[in-house]
Amino acid sequence: MDRLLTATQQALALLFNGDAELWKIIGISFQVSSLAILIALVPALLTAFLLSYARFPGRRLLISVFNTLLSVPAVVVGLTFYLLLSRQGPIGDLRLLFTQTAMVIGQIALCFPILVAMGHAAFQSADKRAWETARTLGAGPVYALLTVMREVRFGLLAALLAAYGRIIAEVGASMMLGGNILSYTRNIPTAIALETSKGEFAQGIALGIVLLILAFSLNASLHYFQGKGHFVT
Amino acid sequence: MMQLCFTDIQKRFGHRRILNGTDLLLASGQCSLLCGPNGAGKSTLLRICAGLEKPDQGKVDIGSGNQSWKRCRPALQAKTVYLHQQPYMFDGSVIQNLGYALSRRLPKPRRKQLISEALAWADLESIATTSAKTLSGGERQRVAIARAWLHQPTVMLLDEPTANLDQEARQRTLQLLHSLKGQGIALLVASHDPKHFYSLTNTWLQLTAGRIETLVADTAIADNIIPLALAQQAL
Repeated sequence: MDRLLTATQQALALLFNGDAELWKIIGISFQVSSLAILIALVPALLTAFLLSYARFPGRRLLISVFNTLLSVPAVVVGLTFYLLLSRQGPIGDLRLLFTQTAMVIGQIALCFPILVAMGHAAFQSADKRAWETARTLGAGPVYALLTVMREVRFGLLAALLAAYGRIIAEVGASMMLGGNILSYTRNIPTAIALETSKGEFAQGIALGIVLLILAFSLNASLHYFQGKGHFVT
Repeated sequence: MMQLCFTDIQKRFGHRRILNGTDLLLASGQCSLLCGPNGAGKSTLLRICAGLEKPDQGKVDIGSGNQSWKRCRPALQAKTVYLHQQPYMFDGSVIQNLGYALSRRLPKPRRKQLISEALAWADLESIATTSAKTLSGGERQRVAIARAWLHQPTVMLLDEPTANLDQEARQRTLQLLHSLKGQGIALLVASHDPKHFYSLTNTWLQLTAGRIETLVADTAIADNIIPLALAQQAL
């Protein structure tokens, strides 16, 4: 117990004293995950919209595929892209393995199905009259889509937060694709895994606290916005 | 005088044929009342006219000769406004809802002015800042009609506009429809309860077995015949 308390005190000291190495790790985490979500967001939401509103052969199969991909472990995604990006892999010539770009690719692959599946559920819950009303009032397809997105914004925000929460906390893909290189590809989860394996708990606990604060902030902001939007009781 | 002519409209859902060679003519400043039992295809026909539902077959003449529905779809969407039986209100105030009908390129003062005019026209000033989702059925209908009016369509397609409204709300809705007709907008009103509309109607259409039968096409006659026909229906 004493050991845990001491480690926690050291962790707080690291956080509040602005430990450069620790904050570099936090910065890399946010940089990589934010870039991944930014790249995935628009195509994923468009895919979700098409799966909800368009009728084409294979639509149901695609929905099932995206729902299945939700449960694929991060380490399997990591392994898949490791094989693709390694020297002998089909795109090994790009020399992306153990770079931040490889981590971003892995995280896009992880967050894309979440954004599509949860976005699809949000669009499905939208009243179809919203789209028709927007269209009949002269909105083009893009503006009508934005109108429907505004109507289901809380569902889409939930999808965004769930996807972000998933990729910023995943360890498997980042470890395999990034290589856990200090000050370059070491992010919060890979650093926690490394420090814990070394028996150095202080930094692990400090980074764990950051992840917990992040998870709490994401959920609290979602509830805040949902509360603001629900004026119909 | 603007005319919109639909010819040989056909539509089936699965094995069920809903519209079977339906013809329809809509003219500016005229109100056509489309009657028929539930499931006859009234809403489907209105949605096809609005460019929202694709027919299996059909031609449209918007003043430049008969063309396929697909080709005319953008023009139909630009010229018509379709009002659902229960109009959809976007998340936001009545003012914000009215704003959806206006072009995004319109300068802000002009937008404000047009919205003020619409609020006054439909007597919505007292609820201008109210959340549209909390309005009563009658208020929603008036907001939807004012929103459509702001869009300045040449044809307005109304699906059961007075269903589930009390007498006062119905009267106010009908007043707005009279005003629209007076402004030269062509109205097509679908209803399975026509008795509320005879003061408004020029042409009474009956949709039966996927085809339209014109029962009455003259107001003067309508004043005498529609009540009689309704009485016969009741028997």
